[in-house]
Amino acid sequence: MSADHATADVVTAPSAPPARANAHGSTAPRMTGHAWGPLYREWLKLLYQRRSYVIWGGAFVVPFLIALALYLARSGPEGGEGPLFMSQVTSNGMYVALAALSVLLPFLLPMAAAMVAGYMIAGEAELGTLRIILLRPVRRGSMLLAKWVMAMLYLAVGFGLMLVGGLIFGALFFDLKPMVTLSGTTVGVWQGLGLIVLCCLYGLAAMACIVSLALLFSAISDSSLTALIATIVIYIVVQVLIAFSYFDWLAPWVFPHYFLEYTNFFRDPIYWDPILKGLAAFGVWSAGMTFVAYLLFRRKDVLS
Amino acid sequence: MATATQTPGIDEARPEQQSCGGRVPILTTHGLTKQFAELRAVDGLDMEVCRGDVFGFLGPNGAGKTTVIRMVLGLIRPTSGFAEVCGHRVPGDLQSALRHVGGFVDDPTFYPLMSARRNLRLLGSMTGTVSEERIDEVLEIAGLSERAESRVGGFSHGMKQRLGIAQALLHSPELIVLDEPTSGLDPRGMKDVRELIRRLGAGGTTVFLSSHLLHEVEQVCTRAVIIDRGKVVVQGPVSQLRPQTDTVKILTDDQPRAAEALRAQLGADAVHEDERYLILRAPEAVVPEMVRRLVVDGLAVRAVVPASEQSLEDFFLELTGNDGDRPAPKKRRAGLARLLPGGRR
Repeated sequence: MSADHATADVVTAPSAPPARANAHGSTAPRMTGHAWGPLYREWLKLLYQRRSYVIWGGAFVVPFLIALALYLARSGPEGGEGPLFMSQVTSNGMYVALAALSVLLPFLLPMAAAMVAGYMIAGEAELGTLRIILLRPVRRGSMLLAKWVMAMLYLAVGFGLMLVGGLIFGALFFDLKPMVTLSGTTVGVWQGLGLIVLCCLYGLAAMACIVSLALLFSAISDSSLTALIATIVIYIVVQVLIAFSYFDWLAPWVFPHYFLEYTNFFRDPIYWDPILKGLAAFGVWSAGMTFVAYLLFRRKDVLS
Repeated sequence: MATATQTPGIDEARPEQQSCGGRVPILTTHGLTKQFAELRAVDGLDMEVCRGDVFGFLGPNGAGKTTVIRMVLGLIRPTSGFAEVCGHRVPGDLQSALRHVGGFVDDPTFYPLMSARRNLRLLGSMTGTVSEERIDEVLEIAGLSERAESRVGGFSHGMKQRLGIAQALLHSPELIVLDEPTSGLDPRGMKDVRELIRRLGAGGTTVFLSSHLLHEVEQVCTRAVIIDRGKVVVQGPVSQLRPQTDTVKILTDDQPRAAEALRAQLGADAVHEDERYLILRAPEAVVPEMVRRLVVDGLAVRAVVPASEQSLEDFFLELTGNDGDRPAPKKRRAGLARLLPGGRR
C-alpha cells in the first residue's frame, strides 16, 4: 500500500469527521507500513512457537550425534556403506557437516520444511488467527509471499545451525583438515568450507520445493496436519516412483530427483551441469506451486 | 415460519428500508448473496447502516449473520451482490475499506504465547503505525492494563473478548464490527462490554453489533435489522421494530369461548389465536368495551397485553418463527470439492 494510495482513500471518504481522521496519529495517511513489516510479523510468529526451537535444536544436535557416534566407534563405516561422506568423517572433521547434510536432506529437512510451511496458513486457520489478521488491510498475496520467505529463512537458520554444529563438533572430535574432493584433488580448509556452504545453499534451494508444496496444501486445507501429511506423502511417493527404472522417463521432471546433486560441488572442477539443472527444476517447481497456492488462497473463503 | 400475511401487525411495523435520512450510510449491502453448495446462506440481502449508528444485527442461530459479516469484511466472496464499506466497494477495493474498519468475527483469537501488548503491536502494525501510548490507551479502555504483559494463552474467554475489542479500536476506525461480543461472558462481563459499546457509540464511532440477544440490542442499539434464513425480515430504528399497530393480546380462563364472543363482536378476521393468547386487531378505544363484554359473558380476563408492549423477543419469534434452535446448516464442502476455491460454483 503506497502513501499515495492511502492519501487518496482519505479524499474519497469525505464523510470522515476531520477530528477523528487525525486521532492518535494513526489513520490512513500514515498507514503506509513498509516492505519489512509482513516479513517481520511472520518471523515473530515463528519465534513464538515452541516447535520452531525443537527443529533448530535437532539440526544442531544431529552433527554432534554423528561425530560422537563415530568418535566412540573409533572408525567410520567401510567405504561405500552408510550415508554419503560418512566414511571420511573420522579422518577429517570437515566431513561432519556434510555427513549431517546427507543424513538430514532426504527426510528430516523435508519434514521440517513441510511442518513449518504447512502450518503457516492452515495453522493460523486452526488457531483462529487467520480470520483476525485478514481483517487488516494486507493483501493475501503479500502475506503468502512473506510466509514463503520466512519459511525459507527459518530453514536457512536450520541449515546454518547444522553447519555450525558440524564444524564445531568436527573440530572438537576429529580436527578440521584440507579436504579430498571426489576427483581425488585436495582443497584447503577455507575452500572446503566454501564448498560445504554451497552444498547447504543447494539443499536449501531443494527445500524451496517442499516449502511451496506445503504452502499450497496449507492454503487449501484448514488443518496443518493435513498439509504436512499431504506434502510428505507426495514427496515419498515421488521418491519411490523414481527409484524404479521403469519410471526413469519421469525422474528428470520431478524435483526430488535432483536432491543429491550437491555432491557435484566436490568434483574438481565443479560439475555444474547437474547442479544448474537441479536449481532450474527447483525454481520452476517452487515458483509454479507458490503461484497455484496464491491463486487458490487469493479467492479462498475463510470459514475457520 | 410466521409470515407477514399470517401474523397481524408485521406489515405495519416494517419501517422504511432506506432510513438514513440526511446521514451518510457507512455500510450498505446490495443484493448480497452467498451460496454454499446446496445451501443459500445469504439471499439477496439489502441493508443500510448509517454513520453514527449503534446498529444491531439480529437473527437466530444459522440465520446467516456471521456469513454476512465475513462477506462485508472480505473473508469470503459473495456469490453475487456486493457491500459498500466506508465508501469502498467489497469485494474490489477491500484493502481501502479495511483501513477504516476494526472488529472481529466469531471469537477473537490471538497468538497464545505472545503477551496482550505484543499481540496488539503485531495486529496494529498490519494497519499502520501504532504508538505504545495508543496500545496503553486501548488496553485501559478494555480494562486489561494490568494484564498487558501476560501471555494471552492464559486469558479467560471474557478477557479475550475484551482484547478483541481493544484490537478493533487500535486505529480509531470509523466502523467497528463486533460479532456477538458478549457471547460466553458472565453478567458482569456482559454489562462491561455493553457499557463499552454504548460509550463508543456516544463518542461518534459507528458500531455494527451482531447478536442473537434481543434485550442486548434493545439496550445498546439505535437501529437494527433482523434477518432470518439469509433475508432481511425487518430493519429500522429499534424503537420502531416493535409492532406499531392496534394489536392486543388477551388471555382468559376459556379461550375458545372468548374467541367466539370476540369474533361475534369484531368480525372473524380480527381474531387470531396462538398457543396462549388470542390476538386481536382492535382500536385502543374498543378495548374497555371488549373486556366489559367478556366479563359480562362470565369469562375471567387474566391479561390484556397491548402489542406495543410485547417484548422485542416475542416480535422476533413472530417474525422468524419459533424454530430458532434449529441446527446450523452444514456449510463445508466435502471431499475433493474442498480443493476448489470457495464460492465459484
